[in-house]
Amino acid sequence: MSSGENGRKSILVIGGGIAGIQASLDLANMGFKVYLVEKSPSIGGRMAQLDKTFPTNDCAMCILAPKMIEANSHPNIELLTYSEVEKVSGEKGKFKVRVKKKASFVDWEKCTGCGLCVEGCPVIIGNEFDQEIGKRKAIYMYFPQAVPKKCVIDKREERLCKAACIDACPVHTNVPGYIKLIAEGQYQEAYKLIRETNPLPAVVGRVCYAPCEDVCNRGEIDEPLCVRDLKRVPSDQWNIEQLELPAITKTDKRVAVIGSGPAGLAAANDLALKGHDVTIFEALPEPGGMLRVGIPEYRLPNDILRQEIGYIQKLGVDIKTGVRVGKDVTLDKLRKDYDAVFVGVGAHGGMRLGVEGEDIPGVMEGIAFLRAASLGEKVSMGKRVAVIGGGNTAIDCACTARRLGAEEVTIVYRRTRSEMPADAAEVEAAEKEGIELEFLTAPSRFLAKNKQLAGMECVRMELGEPDASGRPRPVPVKGSEFTMPVDTVIAALGQVPETDFLKDLGVSLSRRGTIEIDPATGATSVEGVFAGGDAVSGPAYVIDAIAGGKKAARSINQYLTGQPVEAEAPWKEPEEFTQEEKADRKKRFPAASRVKMREEPAKKRVQDFREVALGYSGEEGREEASRCLAGQIEGCIECRECERRCEPRAIVYTMKDKTIDLNVGAIIVASGLGLYDISSLTEYGYGRIKNVITAMEFERLTAASGPTMGELRRASDGRIPENIAFIQCVGSRDLRNKAYCSSVCCMHATKEAMLAFEHHPGTRSTIFYMDMRAVGKRFQEYIARAKKDYNVTYIRARPGRIEVNPENDNPIIWYEETTTGEVKSFEAEMVVLAQAMVPQIDEVLAKALGIELDEEGFVKTPDKLLQPLDTTRPGIFACGYVHSPRDIPDSVTQASGAAGRAAEEMSSSRSGRDSQGGK
Amino acid sequence: MEVLSPYKEATEVILEAGGEPLKLCYQCGLCTGTCPWNMVRSFLVRRIMHEAQLGAVDFGSEDVWTCVTCKACVDRCPRGVEIIDVMRALRRAVASLGIGVVPDALRISAKNIAGVGNPLGEPPERRNDWAKDLKVKDFAKGTEVLYFPCCVPSYDPGVKNVARSVAAIFDRLKIDYGLIGTEAKCCGEAIRKAGYEETFQSLAQNNIDLFTSNGVKTVVVSSPHCYHTFKAEYPELGGEFEVLHIAQYLASLIDKGKLKLSKELNKKVVYSDPCYLGRHNHIYDEPREILKAIPGLELLEFPDARENGLCCGGGGGRIWMDTPKGERFSDIRVEQAAEMGADIIAVACPYCVLNYTDSVLSMGKAETMQVKDIAELVAEAM
Repeated sequence: MSSGENGRKSILVIGGGIAGIQASLDLANMGFKVYLVEKSPSIGGRMAQLDKTFPTNDCAMCILAPKMIEANSHPNIELLTYSEVEKVSGEKGKFKVRVKKKASFVDWEKCTGCGLCVEGCPVIIGNEFDQEIGKRKAIYMYFPQAVPKKCVIDKREERLCKAACIDACPVHTNVPGYIKLIAEGQYQEAYKLIRETNPLPAVVGRVCYAPCEDVCNRGEIDEPLCVRDLKRVPSDQWNIEQLELPAITKTDKRVAVIGSGPAGLAAANDLALKGHDVTIFEALPEPGGMLRVGIPEYRLPNDILRQEIGYIQKLGVDIKTGVRVGKDVTLDKLRKDYDAVFVGVGAHGGMRLGVEGEDIPGVMEGIAFLRAASLGEKVSMGKRVAVIGGGNTAIDCACTARRLGAEEVTIVYRRTRSEMPADAAEVEAAEKEGIELEFLTAPSRFLAKNKQLAGMECVRMELGEPDASGRPRPVPVKGSEFTMPVDTVIAALGQVPETDFLKDLGVSLSRRGTIEIDPATGATSVEGVFAGGDAVSGPAYVIDAIAGGKKAARSINQYLTGQPVEAEAPWKEPEEFTQEEKADRKKRFPAASRVKMREEPAKKRVQDFREVALGYSGEEGREEASRCLAGQIEGCIECRECERRCEPRAIVYTMKDKTIDLNVGAIIVASGLGLYDISSLTEYGYGRIKNVITAMEFERLTAASGPTMGELRRASDGRIPENIAFIQCVGSRDLRNKAYCSSVCCMHATKEAMLAFEHHPGTRSTIFYMDMRAVGKRFQEYIARAKKDYNVTYIRARPGRIEVNPENDNPIIWYEETTTGEVKSFEAEMVVLAQAMVPQIDEVLAKALGIELDEEGFVKTPDKLLQPLDTTRPGIFACGYVHSPRDIPDSVTQASGAAGRAAEEMSSSRSGRDSQGGK
Repeated sequence: MEVLSPYKEATEVILEAGGEPLKLCYQCGLCTGTCPWNMVRSFLVRRIMHEAQLGAVDFGSEDVWTCVTCKACVDRCPRGVEIIDVMRALRRAVASLGIGVVPDALRISAKNIAGVGNPLGEPPERRNDWAKDLKVKDFAKGTEVLYFPCCVPSYDPGVKNVARSVAAIFDRLKIDYGLIGTEAKCCGEAIRKAGYEETFQSLAQNNIDLFTSNGVKTVVVSSPHCYHTFKAEYPELGGEFEVLHIAQYLASLIDKGKLKLSKELNKKVVYSDPCYLGRHNHIYDEPREILKAIPGLELLEFPDARENGLCCGGGGGRIWMDTPKGERFSDIRVEQAAEMGADIIAVACPYCVLNYTDSVLSMGKAETMQVKDIAELVAEAM
């Protein structure tokens, strides 16, 4: 007979705790098909949260885990975890059950439970399994021994922006992810996340042109996030020297990288992480390329650059400085000695003005000037300096000249301010430093006096028709010549790559001297030689060079490992909000401007090369980070970091809840216990006093799998308490809360006191009780043992209130010792409250099942003596805590009883007899 | 066999007052542990409940008069025992049935209340003298609001300003209110808790008749004790009025935008919850909303605020009895407030005003700390 047919051989068990597992195993072993529905992602229930069980002090997980595994592998049991029963129709013998399988957003057929995704997730949420003491990620495994061993994504709502930043970024950095981590103050994690796609976070956090900010959706409602500024927060707030090294499996391949600029470093980093042996050849005396010699120190301090290059070296990359390929070593030799070559030589050649007198001493080329200044070479700087050009290099030259002592610095540009290619903010900053701007002006002749530059003849320009670049062409105005008295001129017209050395090998070059590559892979015309960065694109931005280096590294790895060299899948274009989305976000989020980064005042900063941008404080960083719309939601922010990391490609963001219809003959309800909300019992200070915790929290603190790895530590100061008080019946046996006795607290408090002693011998425990309910085999002996061997004292009192000692955060308990009538106070280092327990079944589930609950919310039994495990609906049975307060052995016994009743029901309904009452 | 209690009649009264819940008491001692007395001296509430269960109460004991009826224990008792009712019954047994001794101070106040309708023993015709110069009209049929200030602000020169502040606020807002004639008497809340049931019945009947015959619909009170008895106890005797504590009334005016507070008060103010406003009647938020509406005011909170608030020591008739130095709750509060750096202790009860003012004076803190009713602060901030 096929399982589930008419439900005659199938049984549904609700609740995957110890009772549900036991009932399932019993029935499965009798030959029934069992569907075990559990609402959390794993079976195990409350018992899985416990450290030990009384009265034997056995490890709870050691007893439970084999049963969990057996339930998972039993051919007759089908686990439906992360599922809930929605509706039950029909009648005993032929129930129709509708189960909702909640979307886990992870394809469990593919998920291997490796946990790589969890490491990368930037969203940190209170861990319900650890009673919210510990944290988990938005993608998580319910607990380490979870069955099934699968991950789920806690995705509660849609992300509120399009994460256009990721799409716009040339290396597709997980911007919402690291911003979320900064908002949470998780700087180390944030740095690691940025470094996943960008080996130079602190550098790029200072010099990036931030295309992400242009597309940031927050910019559509007020101002875009300060993404670039935020990128340096992790390295400002955390010492990146502490970044640990990953385990790398070495290959036997060797790669030569020519040039140690951003392209070369990025390629070397990625190849080293893949295990290849990488050597960088750098012509200059120090590594870093344009980062070292093109960007002035006041924008990018050398120490920062050195730190990040240092980490790449720690990955095993060897950097040989002062070696110019083509002169000190031939390219051909490199090709022979190495398995692949990456060329990232940048664009370090200056351009000539083509103006008379250009060779007079005192006229310098911009990029050479910056290089000399950066390397500390002697540069003769006059008092009056003119800088020719309108790009970022011109600004850098002008500000550097200022710092080297020039009194008057003028930028001479042939078009107007609006055509300047330089960043507007940079221009403004230069003006603050006293740099003058002369527009619509071009040099026509340099004048010498005593073989030294003495003046610059200029001509006025006017704007004409647009040229090839789309900008209006400047046209000289006839007869407008005039002379500027200058003693130094820096011509910052642009840079070109110096690629002649590649010609020997036949690498194909463009007319401009740039290297021609396959844009998809970075491969040049010569096999095994790849290229990227400014040497390919001509002068561009740091992050583009990094992207070029990474792309080539990916191809080189494919080439070296014998895979076909293929392009990466194209990234989608950045998206804007729709009108509706924009209106909605505007309504939901009050306008909040960007948090401005503090700067060194202009007067001070021009005195030397100190860094101008001072970085955010931790608080400012968190404030700016909390503006990110992606981080505004609870749960998964869909940054897709898990998707990137998941090797079996199991992440499915589009997954929907699924409905499953089952046909079963009988149902067992074993949904277990919940914990009563004790926040109204304010006298014990739970939630207000840090060192007052609940018993379940205590269990998680002593459990090896818990948030402290089994170290029992206080919340206030992380100290190990040596003097612990336990207060019983918190919410139980209390007419204002739960009138019934929760049944297990006397024993679990005693057990916990013993555990505290076992963790730290000598620990003193005091249990405040009203009656010791040690009702069970050997329970009295257990309590006697606690007194005799474990330093446990029992005091008969229900304390009236708890105060705090402000000096050490110790809770102070006020109570009347009822046996003597003395009022006392007792200072403990930790107080553990025996929180009342409640049946875990609500009106909704009860209604779906069509069963009645009693006034306390437990499953109602029609006849306590004759049908103790029945519910008010024939064919549905109950066991465990949802039935009545009880301990684990009782729950297991009851589970077997309920399984027996269900089996009896099945056999009787098959033969058509009524199982109720007489047999 | 030895007879434990010779006062069968008295013990029956007590058992009846405790009702079923008294039988449920499982002697856990939470009441003793929670009782503020045990911060300063021993007061075993649990033992009194036990004695009451057994009908073996020592009526001669000082403990009969100790409870301040602050309700901290009642709110937490896991068995729902109405501990205050039991305490009241003990006192009733002494005061009405004549077993045991009533403390002198209480006996005099009780005599005054019974005689002239106020605990201070002042002439009834001078009840409204506090407002003599303010031209407050007498309540007449159709007047919207009756303001009932409580005997303490009516007669005590030190607390008068509370009533005068209310009058000033009402005048400024042009509220149609009046004072009832000098036939009004003490509300009777505290004397009832002190065991004088007959006195209470007569006071209540007097006031109910007076209000009813004058057509009172809404009565605004300054004292949470008046509030409590008008609201919870008068209806059983036929007195049905809308009762509002001044804090509720002012908070609703602020909420509606009718009362605007514009003058800055750059002070640190800590609010102490009166037991009869807080625990007895669950009014915690309104006084705080009023204080927050005062510009410049920095509102501080005691660590044991709201539900856990410490009593001033004046409830249950204790306001008329002497509490030796070292045992005064109000001293503890003033010390707490001083440690927090508060400039003002704000209250919303005339008994609290009396007790805290006494403590501030006797502890030599008058230079640095003031005690103010929220009505006084509001009047100053308008």
